[in-house]
Amino acid sequence: MQTEIQQPDGAPGQMADPLEFAAALSRSFAQTQDVNATVREALSQIVDLLKVEAGAIFLFDEIRASLICRAAVGPVDVIGLSVPTGSGIVGRAVSEDRIQVVEHAYEDQGFFAEADRKTGFVTRSVLCAPMGVGQSVIGAVEVLNKRDGKPFNAEDQNLLRVMAASAALAISNARMADRLVAQERLQREVELAAEIQRHLLPEETDAGSPISGLVRPILEVSGDFYDHFELPDGTIAFAIGDVSGKGLNASLLMSQTASLFRCLGKTVRDPSRLMSILNREICETVSRGMFVTMIAGLYDPATGRLRFANAGHLPPLVRRPGKQSETLPADAPPLGIIANSKYRTEEVNLDGGQFILCTDGITEFRFGDEELGIEGLDMLINMSRGKPIRDRLKAVVEELERAGWRSRDDLTLLAIDDGMAAAAWERHAESERAAPETSDFLFGLSFPADPKRLKLIRPAIRAAAEACGFDEAEVDDVLLAAGEAIENIIVHAYAGARKGEIALAVHRMADGLMLRIRDFAPNVDPAKIQPRDLDDVRPGGLGTHFIRAVMDDASFIPLPDGEGNLLELVKRKR
Amino acid sequence: MTVSSITEQSGRVVVALTGEIDMENAPQVRRALLDNMKQKRDILVDLSQVTYIDSSGIASLIEGLQVARKQKNDLVLVSVSQRARRVLELARLDKVFTIHPDLATALAAVKS
Repeated sequence: MQTEIQQPDGAPGQMADPLEFAAALSRSFAQTQDVNATVREALSQIVDLLKVEAGAIFLFDEIRASLICRAAVGPVDVIGLSVPTGSGIVGRAVSEDRIQVVEHAYEDQGFFAEADRKTGFVTRSVLCAPMGVGQSVIGAVEVLNKRDGKPFNAEDQNLLRVMAASAALAISNARMADRLVAQERLQREVELAAEIQRHLLPEETDAGSPISGLVRPILEVSGDFYDHFELPDGTIAFAIGDVSGKGLNASLLMSQTASLFRCLGKTVRDPSRLMSILNREICETVSRGMFVTMIAGLYDPATGRLRFANAGHLPPLVRRPGKQSETLPADAPPLGIIANSKYRTEEVNLDGGQFILCTDGITEFRFGDEELGIEGLDMLINMSRGKPIRDRLKAVVEELERAGWRSRDDLTLLAIDDGMAAAAWERHAESERAAPETSDFLFGLSFPADPKRLKLIRPAIRAAAEACGFDEAEVDDVLLAAGEAIENIIVHAYAGARKGEIALAVHRMADGLMLRIRDFAPNVDPAKIQPRDLDDVRPGGLGTHFIRAVMDDASFIPLPDGEGNLLELVKRKR
Repeated sequence: MTVSSITEQSGRVVVALTGEIDMENAPQVRRALLDNMKQKRDILVDLSQVTYIDSSGIASLIEGLQVARKQKNDLVLVSVSQRARRVLELARLDKVFTIHPDLATALAAVKS
């Protein structure tokens, strides 16, 4: 058979131009995109050029620390044969990085005669050259028995040395190209993952928004996330999370957690329950050793009330006007570790202050030897007083970047500024409770907790609302809210006992109407009459949601124990 | 007068509700809907004359819908008054219930 590499007659030493040989092998690889095919091609050309009966190429296997036969030509198929580094003729060629010439194989101590015995092939002479690229040896090529029966001469040795070097180069190139292709594929996947993640983050809020967040990932994909969205009743659901570890795995777990929150956060209105569900879901799917720290909660811009649950995350920083900043620690474990972990809902009223969440990329940021810490973050936030919260977060990151940000971790911040919400809602301390002195008392009614009285009370409230100047649809809304509030008392406070008394007072305010509805039952836990999950279609539990949706303010006014419950409803004119 | 009439039209039951529906009379609405479902027929609920409805009334409609769907029937709302529509929207149930503008459209739709 004629080989691709032309052999001018006579002198074999000059025949094979090593560069041309390597180029031919590279072309072969370019066609097949297969390292093994390149190795086989190299060997078949070497066997032809040297006119030998058999040959084999062994490549170093880093994992097994041995030499593995990757190609074989001749009567003996030794592909897959593993030779410990340093043993045998092949091992010697590699460890000494020197060509091995063995005239009588059976006289060499390293000769492996087993193959001969199995196949009947008789090895007479062996020539084995190491295959090196630069300083490193990647394997060896071995040829057996010249076809003319003569021993290997100096020219054969030169030829094999050159061919081995060329083959090593071609194989090394093929491997590199192979790795590059794999890397490009991975890169495309990473870009895709990054794209998906960017879509999971909420859009940047405008300067007037009471909530804002940002992420500065150090890799393309991030293990951090935050999210916030407004619910139909105006409450804002929010979350921040940090997945253990980095890279693609962490980012996948982050995407899963963020999606779960998006989905569950819309219906589950109790942060501790939300955490328990998230935890169970993540425990079921998470790969061993990974976990997520997270804070999720609900903030009501109308009242400044904020409820949240903390799963192993850094404590929130609360900054209130005229008060010392404080952190609110928690001790529940992260998500994804123990399936039945318990989480607690914490409640705080922001009173016009700020609620700041961050990941440890921020607190572990180093100024020289000092970590920034929560205190440092508090200081940085303080520096940009008077600005919208969105710009204050940006100022923090800019400040860190100016200081030479060399964080080993993603930086993520999420903040709620109740001051902005209070301004937007005109919720000032003095107007927070529309004091009856500054309003006009229209009438009061006292009646038993009996559903039959509802239709008798509605006309009176209707007349009052009309007198306050509300339009027809607004008057109907006031009726709905009052009716729901009274039904709540009948069902929850008095639990159906018709002996209970309900008192209603109706006030006209400069800008609207105020209803105060009082019962004399044991104290009601407002958490028990929270708005129900709207996506959960079932009868009952809707009333509180209606009240919140149609009134501007609905709050329980604290009364001493045993004095019953007082609910104040306010509807303002637009 | 809460359940003002129960009639049969083209094999469907039409339940017409009137006036103010609250905690006091919502159980009547519930009874009327569930009783008429025993024959496994589709139910059309006419809300054109409803001037007030609260969460108790809405709960009766939801329960009716759930029972109907469970037995592979339908409960649809017809000629929904402005007030009833407002409350359905507040509860975000305006997309959960099938709502038809009038009886003729509803009968044609339920038939097909």
